[in-house]
Formats: sequence, structure tokens, C-alpha cells
Amino acid sequence: MTWRTEHPPTTEDLNSCIDCGLCLSACPTYSITGDETASPRGRIAAMRAVDRGTVALDNRFAQIVDSCLQCLACETVCPSLVPFGTLMEGARAEVAAHRPTPTTAAKRFIFGRLIASRRALMFLSWLLVIAQRLGITGVLPGRASKAKAIRTIPIPVSATAGRQWDPQGEPIGTVGFLSGCVMDHWYSEVHVAVIDLLTRAGYRVVAPKQQTCCGAIAAHEGAAQHARRMAQRNVEAFAGFDTIIVDSAGCSAHMKDYAHWTEDGADLAGRIADANQVIAKLIADGKLPTITERRGQIAIQDPCHLRHAQGITLQPRDILRAAGYEVVETDPTGTCCGAAGAYQLSHPQVSERLGRRKAAQVAATDLDRVASANPGCEMQLLSYLGNSTTVEHPIEIYRNELNRNQEST
Amino acid sequence: MPGPAADVTRLAAATKRLFEDLSDESVEASAAWTVAPSTMEEAALVLRAAADARMPTRFYGGGTHMDYGYRGDFELVVTTSRLNRVVDWQPEDLTVVVEAGVPISTLEETIGERNQTAVLPEAFGRATVGGVVAAGLSGYRRFRYGPTRDRVLQVGLAAGYGRVIAGGGPVVKSSTGYGVPRLATGSFGSLGLVGWVMLKLWSRPRATASIQIDEAAAAASTYRPLAVLETSEGSFLYLGGDPQQVTAEIASVDGEVRSGLHWPIPISNRIRLEFRVPPRLLRQAIDWAQRVDAARWIAEHGVGRVEAGVDAIEPKAIQAARAWAETNGGALIVASTHDPEIDPWGTPPVSIEIQRRIKQAFDPFSICNPGIFPGGL
Amino acid sequence: MIGYGLPHFPMTRASSVDDSSGVVARLIGVLGSERVHTHPLDLLVFGKDAGVTPGEAAVVVLPESTDEVAAVVRVATAAGVPVVARGAGTGLAGGAVPTSACVLVVLTRMNEIFEVDEVGRTAWVGAGLVNEALSNAVADHGLLFAPDPASQQTATIGGNVGTNAGGPHCLAEGSTIAHVLGMEVVTGDGEVMMVGGAAPDPLGYDLRGLFVGSEGTLGIVTRVLVRLVEVPPQLETMLISFVDVSDAARAVSEVIAEGVVPAALELMDGPMIEAVENFVHAGLPVGPGAVLLAEVSGHSVGVAADAALVREIAVLNGATEIRVARDEDDRALLWKGRKAAFGAIAQSAPDYYLNDTVVPRTRFVDVLDEIYAIAERYELRLLNLIHAGDGNFHPIVSYDAAEAGMTEKVIDATHEMVRAAVAAGGTLSGEHGIGIEKRDLMPEVFSADDLDAQERIRDAFDPLRLLNPGKVLPEGSRCLDRPPT
Repeated sequence: MTWRTEHPPTTEDLNSCIDCGLCLSACPTYSITGDETASPRGRIAAMRAVDRGTVALDNRFAQIVDSCLQCLACETVCPSLVPFGTLMEGARAEVAAHRPTPTTAAKRFIFGRLIASRRALMFLSWLLVIAQRLGITGVLPGRASKAKAIRTIPIPVSATAGRQWDPQGEPIGTVGFLSGCVMDHWYSEVHVAVIDLLTRAGYRVVAPKQQTCCGAIAAHEGAAQHARRMAQRNVEAFAGFDTIIVDSAGCSAHMKDYAHWTEDGADLAGRIADANQVIAKLIADGKLPTITERRGQIAIQDPCHLRHAQGITLQPRDILRAAGYEVVETDPTGTCCGAAGAYQLSHPQVSERLGRRKAAQVAATDLDRVASANPGCEMQLLSYLGNSTTVEHPIEIYRNELNRNQEST
Repeated sequence: MPGPAADVTRLAAATKRLFEDLSDESVEASAAWTVAPSTMEEAALVLRAAADARMPTRFYGGGTHMDYGYRGDFELVVTTSRLNRVVDWQPEDLTVVVEAGVPISTLEETIGERNQTAVLPEAFGRATVGGVVAAGLSGYRRFRYGPTRDRVLQVGLAAGYGRVIAGGGPVVKSSTGYGVPRLATGSFGSLGLVGWVMLKLWSRPRATASIQIDEAAAAASTYRPLAVLETSEGSFLYLGGDPQQVTAEIASVDGEVRSGLHWPIPISNRIRLEFRVPPRLLRQAIDWAQRVDAARWIAEHGVGRVEAGVDAIEPKAIQAARAWAETNGGALIVASTHDPEIDPWGTPPVSIEIQRRIKQAFDPFSICNPGIFPGGL
Repeated sequence: MIGYGLPHFPMTRASSVDDSSGVVARLIGVLGSERVHTHPLDLLVFGKDAGVTPGEAAVVVLPESTDEVAAVVRVATAAGVPVVARGAGTGLAGGAVPTSACVLVVLTRMNEIFEVDEVGRTAWVGAGLVNEALSNAVADHGLLFAPDPASQQTATIGGNVGTNAGGPHCLAEGSTIAHVLGMEVVTGDGEVMMVGGAAPDPLGYDLRGLFVGSEGTLGIVTRVLVRLVEVPPQLETMLISFVDVSDAARAVSEVIAEGVVPAALELMDGPMIEAVENFVHAGLPVGPGAVLLAEVSGHSVGVAADAALVREIAVLNGATEIRVARDEDDRALLWKGRKAAFGAIAQSAPDYYLNDTVVPRTRFVDVLDEIYAIAERYELRLLNLIHAGDGNFHPIVSYDAAEAGMTEKVIDATHEMVRAAVAAGGTLSGEHGIGIEKRDLMPEVFSADDLDAQERIRDAFDPLRLLNPGKVLPEGSRCLDRPPT
């Protein structure tokens, strides 16, 4: 087999799997189908078969590759440390290169170009704001009805890129800030909370103007060239910063893997810090306060890109405890909620199964507040939990409690 | 090797020296011959000859459990009295290879030197290792250690087709080939003569105690006692382990304590009834034993076995109790009765066709304990 | 139902599959097209387990009930097509790998827990239920399923039954065979048969004892009645470091010789520890030497006494450090390291070959020395992972098959290791089964008559050899002079 892209699954990476099968039960799609071809080991076997030229890269291969949520739960349990995410991104790119279909072309346009354009995003966001104000997201048909789970976007539609914020107290340094793509407009409250906390702790926060989307979705969807271009641009944009704060799990996970995407990516990757890590550290170091009043219980859900891709599980809990909450676990294995970016649109049936499973786990706690550090998970949870439950980012929750505390004193 | 045309005379010639000193040991009235092979090869040769001669053959160990199963007429008796060596005891591996004719008492005495036990039935009388394995019998301590079949690591069989075979593996853990030791355990000699076995041993607990308790439920608070028995003479909890542990356990249970293990006297009534039911149904089986005025009974909690002794019983009562046991996936076995109306085993298992094919494969001429096994195999 | 219903990924079937016998069409008639796979990529992906030998089925099916399995078997055997059962594919001996164009029956969807009897401590479960899922499900009752192969997070109970799986805790608890009370089986005729049950000592031959470990050659086990055991009230887990692996081995032998049977006694040598530590970060002592993972369980007072004895023997044999697990999390971490060990070997080289021999515990130290000597002589990289308490070795040779002549060298060396174990009175497999991998080594431990007896058993169940052919027994095991039956 001749792979066609620059970063196909490598024989070396494929050989690092010895087929032990320990990943199978961690895989959400395997757990609901019992089908080896919907498992990490099966997907690797399929890639290996194509790599060795045993079978052709055909529709069936594309299906096997597409059925993956890319939640990376398999990486967490893999004793051989197989870089499954990298293999899967390589395979997706190959599928896109081999079988250009209208769908893959559209995906490439959306996740490779549109998302990187600030003006296009701003325009889209305004459309969404209008739809939300007119109340028409609730009547969207079929798959698009998910849009009603998107938070109501505040007016004016804010943007952080190109701005900077001065420290509120004793300055302790400067950090870069990733504005991201949809996050910047649709989940701006999280940005606001993170930036506020960073400045309270004494950081100057800078969101360089020339930065762009991190490229994670492009990479996941097989738009490898676009992903590479975006990585390169961010490497340049963040050149002057020792630490770059990223508050979306999918983005921080992807940027920590920049070494794979651009030659000088390793250096930036080493400077990326997920906001949960940073805020938890600031609390632990006493630079941000710990609230001693009890606020009751809150359920927690781990985004895959925090838990599996970065092994970050303690920090969101520490932040919630510092906000005065008792954290109630919902899922001991941290199985994907089924949102998985565009997956919920391409595989609605599987996505729904996983979404319902996750919702049932949350419902079992009898709590109506859930902390989740990722917008995709938030939308998925809301879709299946209904309106009586609120889902918020742990950092947002912490900051709200801090404000509440200050108002009362 | 004898050809297919061999006859009784050839059998006699081939096994001449096997007859010596056995005139007093006629154990089966109908049998014309009693032989005592001293090696597996001799045993196989005897069976080969018996097969050629189509002689129904009865195997005999200690004679303690000859009352199981259907009656039959046998022309040849093969005793294991000369297969009587403890072949290889490896105390540091906790294993022993022992021939079938070794009495349990002898084995326990031998391995008792290093404080080990094979966990075979406690009230053994003259029972032999081979007999107990062939009958698939376990002791009361199975509550903690599991049944005998869990400890038969290897078996040597003189198969009904006249060859010596070994099955299993000579180690404490094996997944090498089919479970021939399991097949042989409880086969009642219907596949051939169980000539030797390798057994897994356990260390005897450093301290033991027997406690008479008010009711068996009082034992529920102890973790893995040796046994919990409810009998016509009272309920008993048997403890074993580290001395301090046993002392602590005794303190947590009310009852009359005796040091050491004091097992019930075996049931010796004319008719022995044996329920084998799911453990949760033990109470009903005990109730039945009391209802039919059983002279004595012994029930094993957590195991599901109730043994009851009666001197007389209506066949109808047995039928009803058996129907209940079988409906619940169990059995009611009747031993020591010569009443032809009473079926000793009851309904054969649903796998009887495959069981028949196995019997056929190992005993093609149906000479090994023919007809005594469930289903009349 | 433990599973979450049955979404299907849309399949495209290759149109060129030859189905002149009509088997595929009839299977689709039974299961519908979504659960019958014939695309070459599917056949290949399902054609291998965690072992080293690949195979390829003619068609893969995913039934959801015993009746469906029975119908599949009838369709296949009526056409003379072999049937191979497969669980999660974590076997290491190729037991579920097709050796010919067969119908591969994948049982993973049959993962229900039908019934749990807390009082009688039993459960009826589907053969496709994951081992660990059962223990998790009954944990609230204070119960667990004792067999704990390292693959338990993925392996199915049906697969455990097929291979008579073991695991660290079978030292005290016994292998799968000691924990299976009954089963529902689909025979080679496609009939459904119940074997055994919750009552002790079922009448007739103990067919359970034949089905367990028979690797699907006697029938397809579809539901299992398992025995559950109480979660021990007290546990003590210790990680004991030694400078030399022989010291550790000697300590193990002495513990057993003292008559103490701990819940588990697991040994890992230096290279193995290093690979494991890269994954678990449990603070294992990386370097030369060995660690012994020892666990004692039971009544709190007895546990303290046994643990003290284990420590005393360890120290007398040169233990350099003893780390006692502080709490359940620490214990879980130590065990995670042990259970991930096999998977971690790929960090060192792309290929591996491992054995599963068992030796008498009195010969444990000698055989271990010999295994190292063999690896040294062949200049091979060896990692050792040993269920030391019951003398069950997993020497793993890690290598790169791309090197010329390497595979042959590895096979020669590992066979030499097997022969060393057999010469010491050992056997081929303790818990992985025979499958394809060790089939041709069977004459090393069984005589022609012994193998013939096993063939007779197989004949009684499967005279046409349509159930997982080519496994367990080597070709030609039937004695030629067998009298006519």
C-alpha cells in the first residue's frame, strides 16, 4: 500500500500494538456493539492490513475508521503505549485523500477553512444569536436539533483574540491565551472566567491576534494539511510566551501533540497548559482562594480529551472542592458521552446510545448540577438530561462562587 | 497382545499370579474370579482379556460404597488391594501420587507427618483413595476446600478397552488437554479402573475447633469455616486456621466449643438417602428428612447435600421427594436398598446420549461395572 | 441486560464472496445481514486473537441468543462447514483462530447476567459477559468471580471456560474449572443441552469438567452457571524486592513448603518491571533483580500471621525492600501493574513469543535458572512474568521478526524452554490452553495412548470434527490399532 498523505499511520506505530486486547472494554463503540471491527485493536488491525497491502483502502475501511469516536480511552488503558490517536488521525487523512466524497470535501471546508476564519465564525455566531433570540433552534429538525443545546450566546458577541488583560494584583508574569474557534463566541463565559481568575492571581493575559483555531477538528476529520497549517500559524503566534493557557480540553490535548503536526511544534507543545491544571495549581499555591462554606454536591463528568488524552482528572475535582462543593462521581471508567465533535452528526445512533448511557449515570446521582469542562460534552449532556439539569465548566463554577462570596462579604 | 479370540482360559492364564491369597476376599457373590493386579499394565491386561471374554467386571476398593447404583451380575472382580503404594509424595509441592488401593487412613497418616491433608471424606472406614475418587465423594471440608474433583490433578486409568492411559497434568494448575481426571472422578469405574491419582494437598490448619451452635445460621458471621453441618444431633461449626484466628472466631460465636474436629458418625441405617440440591433449598430437604422420620440426617450448608438414614420407607415418598429435587435441578440418590422398585439414581441427566457415547468410547464391550451407572450405563 | 442494545454500523459487503454452498445466505436468513460479516477486512480483523498466529474465517456471525447459536451451528454443520467459537479474542494460544474456512461464532453480544443467587452464591451469565463486569456487578453483594486472568477487563467468561483460565488468585481459589457449576451448551448437532447445575455432584459423568478447557472443540458454551466467592474480609498486599530473581524464586518455594497458600504470589523480573513501570508509574523498583507481589487474604488475625510469615521468609532469602499496600487504591495500582505486564512488552520490540508451562514447585528455582540460560545461549531478550505460587511460568521472548532467521531462533529457544519444564515434571499450559500454538507439543507430555483417549472423548461429542478443528490435539492422535467400536 502506498499511503498518499504526509502523515499516514506508520508501520512502526502499528507494530507497537501486540493485540493484547486490553483496550477493547474501554472502547465505547466496542462496548455497545461487541464487534471487533468497532474496537481499537480491530481498527489497528484494519490499518495494518492496508499498510501491508493485504487489503485495499475501500469503503469498509473508511467505515471502520469513521466509527471511532477518537475519545482515546484506549490510550489510557494501553500498556504498550500505542499512539492510537495519531494512528487514527493518519488513517482519517488517508481516507479523505483516497476517497474524496462530497461529505469529506464539505468537512474539509468547514473544519479546515471556515473554522479558521474569524470573520466567518463571527458571522455564523450572529446567525445563531438571532436564531436563539427568535426561539427557532428548538424547532430545528433531526440532527440539527442538537443546536438547541448550545448556550445562549450573549450580545454583543464577544471575541478575545487580539486583546490583553492586565493583572488585578501583584504581577507574577505573562501568559498567552488561546481564543479558539467557536469557543470564543459560543462559550465566552468560560473564557471570561479563566481570564478573570488568571488576572486575579497576577498574570497578564495576552491573546495574540494572529492565532487561529488549534486544528484539532481538522486533524480528527482527516483534513491533515489544514491541521498542519493551523499548527504552524499558532507556533508563530505564541512564539514569545513561556506558558499558553488553553481552556478547551480538545484544544489543549491537540496542541500538546503539535510535535506530530509541525516540525517546530514540540517546543510549543511543551509550553501548553490546560486551564484546569493552571487554576488548580494557583489554588493549591494559595494564589487563588479556597472557599470554606459548603455548597452541597455536584456531579462530575470527565471530557475524554482531559481524562484520556491528558490524564487530567484530579484538577477539575480540586477546583470544584475549592469552590465549596462535594464532588460526586458519575462514571468510574470515564466512557465517552458520544458527542465527540462531528461524530454526533455522522453516527447519530451510536452517539445517542452513549449520550443516554451517560445521562443515565448522571441521573443516578439525583443531582441537577453537573460539572463538565468541555462544550461538546455539555451539549450532549443537556440533550439527554433535559432542561432541569444545568451543566457548567468547573472553572466557571469556581469563579461564580468566588464572586458570590465577595458580594456577601 | 491377546487377540479378539481370547477366552476365559486365557484370562486365567494371563492373570495366574493375581489369584494368590484372595480366596477369602470374595466380595461379589456371583463372581467366579477375583483378581488383584499390582501394576497398571496388569490391570489393563486383565481388562483386555475380560473385554475379549465379554465378562462383566466389578471393581473393588475398600468396599465401603458398593451400595451405590443399579445391581448387576458380575463374573470378575478386580480389587485394588495390591495397588497400594504411596508412590510420590512431594510435601514441598503439596502434591502426592497415590495408588488406588491405598486406604484414606494410610494416606492421611503418611502425609500427616508434615501436617498435610488430601481433604478426602473424614469418616473413611476402610475406604480407599481409588474408591472415593471413582465414587466422586467429597468430605465435609469441601465447604472451604472445594470438592475432591478439584484436587485430582492427574489420573491413571486402565481403560475398558484394555490400555493404560493417563490424563491431566502432574502440576497444581493445568490447561493441557481434556479434563480426563474430572471425567474419571465420579465415573464409578464405568470407564475402566482408576489405578492411581495425583492429588493436590493442603496444609492442615494449625488450630481447629468444633462448635455446637443453636442454629446453622449462627455460622454466617465466620469467613470460610471448614464446614457448617446441621444434623439430627445438632448444628456444628468447624473452624480451622491460625491459633489466634480460631480463638478470635470462637469468641464471636455462641456455642459449646470442643478443640479439634469432631465429625458426625457416618449414617449406617439400612437405607441411605442422599439429596443433592442447590444450597438455597437445603432447608426443604432437611424438612423432608424430618417429615419421613429419618433416624438420622446430616445436612451440609453451602453445599446442598443432605444425607438421611431410614430403616424403611415407602417408594412413593421417595418418588415425590425425587420429583421435587429433580425439578429444582438436583437429585435424590438412594443407596443400600435391595428393593427393586426403588430406582437408586432417578432420572438420568439430559446429556445421557453423550454420556452413553463416552461410555462406549472407553468401554466398548461394556464390561466395566456395567449397568450400575445413572442411565444404566 | 448489561449491554446497551444493538446499534449497527452500516456494512458494505464485498459482492464477490463465493457462497456456492448457500451457507452465508442461510446465516443471513437466521441473523439478518447486519450480524453476518463476509467482507475480507472483517474476516481478517476477526481472524486473530492476542496470540501470534493469524487465521481467516469464511464468515463471521454475531448471534445474540442460544437459539441463534444453535441455528447457526445447524446451518454450518449441515453443509459440512466447521464452526469456531470466539469471545473477546484475548486468548494467547490461538484457540479461537480459524484453521480453515469456517463460520466464526462471536459470542460477545451474549453478555447478560440472567440471575444472581446471593444466598447460594451463584450466577447465570451469558458466555459473552466480560469477566470483570461480573465481579463488578456482584460487588455490592460482597461477592466476586474468583478467576482473574490478566485480560479480565476484556476476556469473556465463555473464553475463560474454553481455556480453563487462571490468573494470580487461582493459586488459592483454583482455576475456572473450580468456579463453573453448570452450563448451557450447543452441541455439534445444533441441539441445546444443559450440563451440571447448582446442586453438588451432578449425576453421571462430569461433563462440565470436559467442556471447561476444551476450547470449543466439544460444543459451544452459551450460558454459564458460575460460583461466586465472598470478598475476603481482610487483604494484605505486599511488593517485595529482591536483588536476584533466584532469591525471589526460593522465597516462593519456601512459603509453599511451609504450607501457607497465599491468595497470590506473582513474580516479575527486572526487564518486565521496567516495561510495566513505564505504563503504571507505581513506583516499582526499576533495575536488575525481581519483585514478588504477594497477597494474603482471609480472617484479619490469620492474615496478619500469614503476612508476617511471608515477610520473614522473604527477608531470610534476601529481600531488600517490602512495600505494603497502604489502601485499596495502592493495592489496585500494584495489581494494575501486574495485569498490564503482558501488554507492556511491546514497548521493547514488535514481536513476542511466550510460554505457559507449569512445573512442580519443588523444581521451580532450577527451571527458572535453566530458562535464563537458554535465553542467554540464544542471545534473546527475555522478560519473565511468573505465577510463582503455582509454578506457572510465562517467559516472554521479545524480538523483531524482521531480523533474518530470528523467528526460527525464537521458536527453537522457546521449545527448548518447554522441554526443560517438561523434563522437570511439568506440563505445557497452566491457563492459556493448547490451541494451535502448543498442539504439536502435546506428545511431549502425553503418550500415544493418552492422546488416543482424548480423541475418543472428542469423538463422543464431535465425530465429524466440525467443532474448532485443528485445535488441542495434534493430527493423527487416533491410535491405528484401536479396536472397532
